[in-house]
Parts: sequence; C-alpha cells; structure tokens
Amino acid sequence: MQFYISTLLIYLFIDIMGVLGLNLQFGVAGIINFAYIVFIAVGAYTAAVVSLGPDYPGNFQHYVFGASWPFPLPILAGGAAAAVLSLVVGVISLRRLRSDYQAMVMLVLSLIATLVASNATGLVNGPAGLATIPQPLYDQLGLSPLDYQWAYAGWAAFLTVVVFLFVQGITRSPLGRTLRAMRDNERAASALGKGVTALRLMVFVVGGFIAGVSGAVFVEFIQAWSPGSWLYPETFVFLAAILVGGAGNNWGAMVGTLLVPVGFLEATRYLPAIFYQGFIEAMQWVCVGLLILLFLWFRPNGLFPEQPGRFRRRPLITGGSTRVPAVPVAPPAPVD
Amino acid sequence: MASEPEQVLSVRDVSRGFGGVMAVNGATFNALRGHITGLIGPNGAGKSTLMGIVGGAIKPDSGTVVFEGRDVTGLPAHRIGRLGMIRTFQLSAEFTKLTVLENLLVAAPHQKGESLLGAELGRRYWGPSEDALVEVARSVLDRFSMTAKENELAANLSGGQKRLLEIMRALMANPKMVLLDEPFAGVNPTLAREIEHYLLDLRDEGLSMIMVEHELSVVERLCDPVIVMAQGKVIAEGSMSDVGARREVLDAYLVG
Amino acid sequence: MQQLIPAVGFGLITASILAIAAVGFTLQFSVTNILNLAYGDIMTACAFAAYIANQAGVNIWISLVVAALFGAVFSMLINRFVYFGFVRRGTKLFGMIIVTIAVSLIIQNLLLAIFRPTFFSYHASAGASYHLGSMVFTASQLAIMAIAVVAMLLIHVLLTQTKLGKAMRATATNPGLARSCGIATDQVIDVAWLISGALCGVAGVAVVLNTATFSETTGAGFLVPIIAAAVLGGIGQPYGAMLGALTIGIAGEVAAALINPSYKDVIAFLILIVVLLVRPQGILSEIAAAKEVTA
Repeated sequence: MQFYISTLLIYLFIDIMGVLGLNLQFGVAGIINFAYIVFIAVGAYTAAVVSLGPDYPGNFQHYVFGASWPFPLPILAGGAAAAVLSLVVGVISLRRLRSDYQAMVMLVLSLIATLVASNATGLVNGPAGLATIPQPLYDQLGLSPLDYQWAYAGWAAFLTVVVFLFVQGITRSPLGRTLRAMRDNERAASALGKGVTALRLMVFVVGGFIAGVSGAVFVEFIQAWSPGSWLYPETFVFLAAILVGGAGNNWGAMVGTLLVPVGFLEATRYLPAIFYQGFIEAMQWVCVGLLILLFLWFRPNGLFPEQPGRFRRRPLITGGSTRVPAVPVAPPAPVD
Repeated sequence: MASEPEQVLSVRDVSRGFGGVMAVNGATFNALRGHITGLIGPNGAGKSTLMGIVGGAIKPDSGTVVFEGRDVTGLPAHRIGRLGMIRTFQLSAEFTKLTVLENLLVAAPHQKGESLLGAELGRRYWGPSEDALVEVARSVLDRFSMTAKENELAANLSGGQKRLLEIMRALMANPKMVLLDEPFAGVNPTLAREIEHYLLDLRDEGLSMIMVEHELSVVERLCDPVIVMAQGKVIAEGSMSDVGARREVLDAYLVG
Repeated sequence: MQQLIPAVGFGLITASILAIAAVGFTLQFSVTNILNLAYGDIMTACAFAAYIANQAGVNIWISLVVAALFGAVFSMLINRFVYFGFVRRGTKLFGMIIVTIAVSLIIQNLLLAIFRPTFFSYHASAGASYHLGSMVFTASQLAIMAIAVVAMLLIHVLLTQTKLGKAMRATATNPGLARSCGIATDQVIDVAWLISGALCGVAGVAVVLNTATFSETTGAGFLVPIIAAAVLGGIGQPYGAMLGALTIGIAGEVAAALINPSYKDVIAFLILIVVLLVRPQGILSEIAAAKEVTA
C-alpha cells in the first residue's frame, strides 16, 4: 500500500511539473505546443543516456553519447537538452500561421519525433527504448526500497515547489501580464512595442526546460523509457489537465493534474480488467476526449479561471523617489 | 509669428501589392507635428494598407517612411512602437482576459518586471515602479472617466468604451504619434463627440495623430492637414477646405 | 531503375486512395474552415461498417457502398452535433482543432473498446493480376483506381455543372455573401459533409482492400498523407487535393523503393511540414496564411 501511495505521489509531482510548463506556454502565453510530450521525452532520454554509462559492443541496448554523470547533473542535462531543442524548434516552426496550422505543425513534429526515435536504432535504442537506468544516489543512500521511494517523493515535491514558484513568479509579474496580452491580441501587443517573437521564443524555451526536467526526474524513477511512453496523445492528457483546472492559473493547473492524469487515470487503472485486457485503457482515452469536449463546451475557462491582477488603492505620494513617467496627459480634472 | 509646422512623419513613394493588385501605388504625404492629419478616400483606396505600412505591420515593396527624422521603412511593428509611433486598430484589439487597468499597464514601456530576470527577482524589485505606473494609469482612467471600470475585464466593455481603451492604452506607451484607424466606427454619437474632444485636447498638448476616417464632417472638425487617397495614390493634400473643392477629389468619391 | 516503374505503379494506387480521401478532407475544410483531424478515424469506422456488412455475407463491393453511406451520415452528424456548435460560439481555430482531436481520440478508442485490438480483413479476393509493362495490378486495385477516377469526375461535374456545386463553391468562398444571395448555407454544409463523408467511407474501404488487413489505427495512420496531399495542393481546393495526392502517392512509393521501405510515410510527413512552414497556402490556393474565420 505504501509503495502505491509513494509511487502515486511521485507521479503526481512529476505530472504537476509537466503541466505547469505547458500552462506557462499555452495557458499564459498562448503558445500552441501540441508536441509538448516530445520535450519531456528528450529530457528523459538525455538523463538516461548520461546516467547509463558509455555504450559498448555487445550491450543489449544502443544509444548515442553515454556517460555516467553523478546526480543531479542528468536532470540539468535533461532540462538543458529540452531547452536547446525548444530553441531550435521554436525558431523554425513558431510562425505567423493560422492557429490551427500552427497546431498541426507541432502535432506533425510530435509524430516525426516518434518515427525518428523508433527507427533510428542507434539513437536511443529504437522501439525497445532504454532500460536499467540507475536511480540516483540509490547505493549512496542505502535506504530500503520503500524508504527510497519516500525520499524520491520528497525530492520530486521539492522540485515541484521550485518550479511552481518560478512559473508563478512569471505569471504574477509584469512579464506575465505582457505574455497574457500577447496571447490575447498579438497585433496590438506588437503595436505597443512588445517584441512578441522574442517573448514567445523565451517562453517556449523556459517551458521546454521545465518539460525536460520533469522527464528526467520521471525516467530516473521508472528506470525505463521507450517511444511507447510518449506517443502524441500524451500531450493531450496534459492539455486536458489544463483545460479542466483552468488555463493560465497555476493553482488550477495543479488541481487539474490531480484530477486528470493522476486522479482519473490512476484511479481507473486498478479497476478489474473487464471484457478484455486494455478495455479500461481504451475507455480512459474515450473519457479524456469527452472531458476535453465537455470542458471546452461548458467551462472553457476551467474550474479555476485565470485571475487578472488587481491593485490596492494607495494614497497618492507627492514628491518622493518614485519616478513618474512623462505622458502627454493633463493633470486629473475635477470630476464633473 | 506662427512657426512653420514641422513634419513628424514623411511617406515617400510607398507601394505595396497583394497578389497582383497594387493596394498602395506610390503614395506620398507628410504628417505634421502637433496636428491631427486626416487620411480619407473611398473604399479600396488603400488607406488601411498604408496605415499598416506606416505602423510596421506590412512591409512596403518600395518607398520610404521617415519618422522623426529617422528612416523606419520596413521596421517591424514593435520597433516602430518603441520609437513612439503607436497604432490603434479598427476592430477591437483589447486584451480580452486582462482588466482595463491591466490593459493600460501593459502598454507602458521599459517595465522592470518585464524581463525574465526582473520578474523572478520579485515584487521587491519591480514593485515600486509598478505602483507608480498604477497611479499614472489611474490618472489616465480618471481623465477619460473610466475609473469605475478599472477591474472590469476588457472583453466586457461596450464598443465605445473599447475605443476609449485603445486611446488610453496608446497614451500609456508614451507616444509621439498615434495612428487612429476609424476611431469612431460603431461608437454612439454622444460618446463619439466626447472622444472628439479628448482627441482635440491631446492634440493641443502636443500629440501628433494620423486619423483614417470616413465621416467628412468629423474630418472637417478635427483634421488639418487632410490627405486624400484613391486607388493607392495620394491625390490631394492640404486643409479640408482646399481639398474639398478639388475636382480630383470629388471625382474619386463618385467613381470610388 | 528496375524498381522505379513498379514503384510508380504502387504509387498510382496509393494516389488513387489518397485522392478520394484528400478531396473529401478538403471539401470539409472548404465549407466549414475546419481541419478535421478525426477524418482518419472516421475512415476506420467506415471500414468497420463495411466489415460488419461483409461478415454478414454481403459482397465487398456492396459493403463499400454501405461504408460510403455510413461515412456520409456519420460525418454529417458529427459536424451538426459537435463541430458546428463550437463554431457557432466563436471557438477559435486552434480550439476547433482540439475538438477534432478529442473526437478522434473518442472514435479510435471506442472502436478499440468495441472490436478489441486485433487485425481484421474482408472476405474479398484480390482478383487476377494484370501487367502493364513492369507494373502489376490486381483486379481489386484496378477497381480502386477506377473508382477514384469516377469519383473525381463526379466531383468535378458536381462542382462545375450543378447548382449545388456552385452553392458549395459560393459558401466556401464567402459564407456571409452566399447567405445574402439566398443560399441556404446550413443545408449546403450538411450536403458537403454528406458527400465528403461518403468519400471518406470509400477511401476507408479502399485502404483495406489494398492492404489486406486493418486495425483500429489504420485510418489514423493515413491522416498525415491525406492532410499532406490536401495542403500541398492548396487546402480547400479539390483539384489541388487530387494533384497533391498524385504527388505524395508516387513520391512515397518511389522513395520507399529507392531508399528504404520505412521512408514511405516519412515523405508525407516531411512534405507536410515543409509546406506548412514555407508555403501554407499550397500550390494552387490563394488563401492567405493568417486568416482567422469562423463560418
């Protein structure tokens, strides 16, 4: 039982990290990244490859690079690799396109990534994927398997808090406001002097980094990763979490993660296999689809809609050090 | 002695085609500092395209645009915006999920909390300048009698209020010139008259404007000089009474 | 070089199937401005409809008609009851594509739930083989190509000669204007989805006839080549879709023959990405890249 709960918690924290990254890209900045799962995968593969040690002839799995970097370097490497890939993908494919074309570009990229990873057997061991990825500090800590899991859950929780504070720091700041403005009307934001292309790219890279970190932390726990782990519909599980929880609201995103990938999908996993093996899983996807449709129809802003900024009224301070920018505006006229 | 009004914007021989049709075909005109320059002409004359080119949203095929003595031809919209030329839009361009106050705050340039590092340094870093900005924004809201709508989501405003929002937002960006694309379209007459007064006040305070407008009576009241376009070219430039009498202008409006 | 001619032959068959599917796909787009990513799964559902009829003893070619009818009605109902509602509310374009993806997930997994994840095939013989130079075709394949040609001709006649076709073209170009000219755009859209749904059904069965076995994901696997064909030729343009289908069908098979069999799909992917990034309006279309319109 304890194994189950600790595993569930680890999944929860990792999924929250992933959802927060996508919420930053999509919910706050309006970037349509239907290939998000690929960046999680890159983080996972990178962390795996730098922890598995160098490849050698006769190895049961083949992959590029190969190193035995100590904790926590594989996680940083995973984040960095995903960030770099985000930069490349962002520069090439974030364009002034109709939003549904943009969506399709990203979706096709996701499919291409799966094709490449499955077929290029020397890259990350093709369809079989990578396995026996060492769990970080397992030997050094010398804990029992169960205690290790609790420790890992604590580690994942810590990282999740860091990520949350980071994305919340952006969302509640003037930067977050500018991103939301860019999302709501890019043309007007440009006309006001906002460099939307650079902003969008920056958010894409930052979100990509977060995705990579979450993938790395995940793979270091489950110790295996193959193309089957990151097919294109997985992005839509995250998307469903955001739609349900509330796009643009980081608290909402966490609730959405609790409800959809963790609550709903994990809960139904333990139903007895009726009809045949895999029936439940198929119905889970039907429900994900229905959930997306229902929320888009009835509550497109999610359970916890985005909170715009509200400002306290302060007494006007005449003089003092606050700089008042010059605006061609007459002083406040008396109210008629 | 009245000093010679200086040109704040100079457009020379600008052309732009779309799929074989020349939307703007060698347009040339000057906008004067501290004046509301009107841009009129029949439908399809190329006014919106020309505004798009001046504002940087559309790249011209040829010609030059000089703003405050600086060649800005082909610069992207956000660069031109940062140089002080702010374009407002015909259809609602409000930031729908932001409040009215937030809409104004976004427009201010050089905000400390707008960089990634600045944002992460937190309220202690960008708080004070943000607070000052909020006061400026509130005074703008007050001036346009929109204080009550401070926390209203911009999407919920009426058409006329959205127009005011466009103008207020443009002001927050420290503009040297504002491009107004049909600022009265879809606005009820009472509010339209109010907006006219605001524009005149802003002009008197030194703000330069270019206004695309259909209603010639409005143009007469507000604009000097007036630029007349037809079929992608500027066919007349001068005060309203000058151009109103010109044969080419009358012909253009008849033929369309 | 030896493999080139037969590859072209295979390419012609693939192109035929793609053409039927792509024209259907592009028709849906032209009247409703929706990229229906559930199209591949609707193809699969139609293939299953034919399967059920076929299992009940119906001849495969009649089952194909069953599939076409099923596809017609199913597609029209999906548009009426799901897509149209969202469009009416002003859902943005990427919102619509999320809707179609959700529908795709639902259809595909419902099929999985009902029919179980295994492989299916029709009671249908491929028929005698015919040689044309070094190209080899079975009777089935020739029939598919004939169906494709007939379907393309019918679509051409429909669009250019009939009142309905003109109404469809008007609705596609400017729905508001069409309405004010007295065209009942709602009904025109229904009919467009009926016709494109029928094409979808025919294509779904044709795919199976060509590949002998199918499963719940067969149609989805074709979605990228179909979209690639439609977009390459110019989305919204039926003739463009035919042109695109020809290009992708042949290019895919030739690449598979000359380079590597797994390259058959990759070509379609690459073409689609390149077209979307470089020239989204395709070869024939003049639709601007950044048009946000809801019907």
